[in-house]
Amino acid sequence: MRGKKRRGNTAIAAVTVAALCAGAWLLHGAAGVHAPPQPSPAEARAGGSAGRAAPALPPSPPDRIRIPSIRVDAPLTGLGLTPAGSLDVPPAGEKNLAGWYEAGTTPGERGTAIVAGHVDNAEGPAVFYSLGALKRGAVIEVDRRDGGTAVFTVDAVEVYGVKDFPDEKVYGAAGRPELRVITCGGGYSRSTGYQGNVVVFAHLTGSRH
Amino acid sequence: MRRTARLLTGTALTVTAAAGVIAPAYAADTPELVLSPATAVPGTDVRVTTVACGDDGSATGDAGAVGAGRFTLAATGHGAEAAGRFRVPPSAQPGTYEIVATCADGGRELHGDLVVSLSPATSPQVRPRGSVKTGVGGALGPDPVQTAAGVAALAVAAAGGTWLLHRRARGDGI
Repeated sequence: MRGKKRRGNTAIAAVTVAALCAGAWLLHGAAGVHAPPQPSPAEARAGGSAGRAAPALPPSPPDRIRIPSIRVDAPLTGLGLTPAGSLDVPPAGEKNLAGWYEAGTTPGERGTAIVAGHVDNAEGPAVFYSLGALKRGAVIEVDRRDGGTAVFTVDAVEVYGVKDFPDEKVYGAAGRPELRVITCGGGYSRSTGYQGNVVVFAHLTGSRH
Repeated sequence: MRRTARLLTGTALTVTAAAGVIAPAYAADTPELVLSPATAVPGTDVRVTTVACGDDGSATGDAGAVGAGRFTLAATGHGAEAAGRFRVPPSAQPGTYEIVATCADGGRELHGDLVVSLSPATSPQVRPRGSVKTGVGGALGPDPVQTAAGVAALAVAAAGGTWLLHRRARGDGI
């Protein structure tokens, strides 16, 4: 009888100690900063881009973007420019919404199409939270209003600071169908926010209809 | 071209002119109502933004001049920006049309010009400049799920500890 009780006590003591340790560890971890993933230098632009380029598609506005490897599946809204000339962004309140630069190239058409979305909003992670974790060779699919899907392959994932942002590299014209996917990244400071942008460079490698 | 098109804009402009407030709308370098693209092909969407309606200011837009009717400009949450869109009707004729919006708060009237062209703009494409503001740091706080799990684990530890102390006090041999 006594031995049984003692075993019970030992079990309870073990559970108590384990729970105490787990609780302390969980709370300590949760209080830390959970920054969105950032690309490693290995994903930076290599000399050339991998994969053959597919022939350009006729212009058609996009409706949706999918990046299966980081579980992105989001509708696209049209974006304009801010009065300062920078690319506008989708409404911050809708966390699973990305946008495309409507006055520019449509994805799949020859030239540089631009897609942007939030890494987070006031509530937490948003549509492109994991964009910095994307790898070279990953696939990006864009559904178009003509019923087709443009398939892009990632050439590079880079981070650029707000200062000296390489406009020509990111937004400049291209002789083949290319895509840029942009979100906030780099360091974060409480006073000035994110210090830069994560930019994904991709080019058209196929299409489905 | 602009002169003829203005004739087309109808009532909105007449009312504006009668009120005698037409001058400021064209004086500023940056229009109060920004249309993107400013030159559109019939059948395409035009995005309209303004920062002139104040914080969280919405507005009612009127693209009746080009035959597109009314639309809403809702606050986007980026400073004082409000945005909306309308579709240029496929039947729209080339010309310059005045798009009007009225701030919900204060009733200020804003103007912007839309050029309808049958072929896409031949001028070099305007490209964005600089970085994009796509985050506020909201993902950087404590992880709520992990915090809850930690609190739950500590509660289990507290219960276990209490139970053991209770037994010990009863002299149950620990």
